[in-house]
Amino acid sequence: MAYLKLNGLRFHVQRLAPQDAGPPAATVVLLHGLLTDSLASYYFTLAPTLVAAGMEVLLYDQRGHGRTGQPPTGYQLERFVDDLECLLDRLELTGPVHLLGNSFGGTAAFGLATRRPDQVAGLLVIESEPATSAWSVKMDANLRRAKTQLVREEALAWIATRYSEHTARLARSAGRLLAATSLARDLPASRIPTEAELRAIRCPVLAVYGKESDMVSQAAWLEGLLPDCRSTFVSGQEHSVLIGATEAVRRLTLSWLRQHGSEPRGVAAERLPTRIRDGRSEPEGSVR
Amino acid sequence: MTTSEQAMEPHLPTEQEVLGEITGMLAALLDGYDLTPAEITMQSRFTDDLELESIDLVTLAEQLQARWGEQVNFAEFIADMELDEIICLTVGQLVGYVVTRLRTAERS
Repeated sequence: MAYLKLNGLRFHVQRLAPQDAGPPAATVVLLHGLLTDSLASYYFTLAPTLVAAGMEVLLYDQRGHGRTGQPPTGYQLERFVDDLECLLDRLELTGPVHLLGNSFGGTAAFGLATRRPDQVAGLLVIESEPATSAWSVKMDANLRRAKTQLVREEALAWIATRYSEHTARLARSAGRLLAATSLARDLPASRIPTEAELRAIRCPVLAVYGKESDMVSQAAWLEGLLPDCRSTFVSGQEHSVLIGATEAVRRLTLSWLRQHGSEPRGVAAERLPTRIRDGRSEPEGSVR
Repeated sequence: MTTSEQAMEPHLPTEQEVLGEITGMLAALLDGYDLTPAEITMQSRFTDDLELESIDLVTLAEQLQARWGEQVNFAEFIADMELDEIICLTVGQLVGYVVTRLRTAERS
């Protein structure tokens, strides 16, 4: 396990080399979501597939999450973007990297793409969106509700029954994070990129949605806003696409990397159906 | 038995020995919780019984690799499992995996 001090905080970072010890076909940075999430969501899902396919993978726990330090304040989006920028500089990953962000992790990825376009080869965002004023309003409402609910035993018991004990345990940690820090207040007060800044994101963007998710309605808006953005919809999924449809996300990611010049190697590449290996078609759901 | 014969036939750990080592790793992870190593059995489930969070499993994966090398790849072991299977994963299943991997590595 590696710990790196970045921006005055101790970060838990995992840098995984290609499994075949060859030169990396690409570097992919995996950014996890808010509150109940950590790098573990990728470590056991996408990361093994990517290293088996010859990619270098960088994972880290975002501030306040997982094994990274939990400062009492400083949870504006720009702070999360500072962390990512600082991490890439520290590891001397100067060549453009692919950013893959789940939910809020994608919002942070969009943040770096507006700030350091030279650093970003492409964005694959799952159930995610760039920060806008509408995003701030939504985050404010969601975080306020989470802050009150996730410390209530009845709410946690309901989560345990509806989902699982494990989910309830994660929710309890999330409640503690919100109680101990100013995250719920800071995030809605983040600096929001201007529309012109977002329009200037020229790298290819693949936006992945659960077909049943309420975020689907923003797909057309995002495609209209960004110069090179496509959307794909995974059947039968809501917000938890990464965990609920891991295999689909694996294939989408490998196929997307291939389309952008990073050829997957090894068994992982062979697992792609031929039509996807040839880059002619997407594996899951509908693409537009 | 001479030294060279011992080198030819390295000792492969038994299930009980692997369980002992994994119990030690888990006890360190659970340090601070109200659970003693004596309560960790082959039947213990990582998430429901030991109350480990997924991030604890990342630490465990690293410790397993540090102890037994590349042939014991916990992330790869559970990468093909469904979420429900991971949640129900027992210490015994992990012990079985480690023992099998060490034997496979020995044969190859």
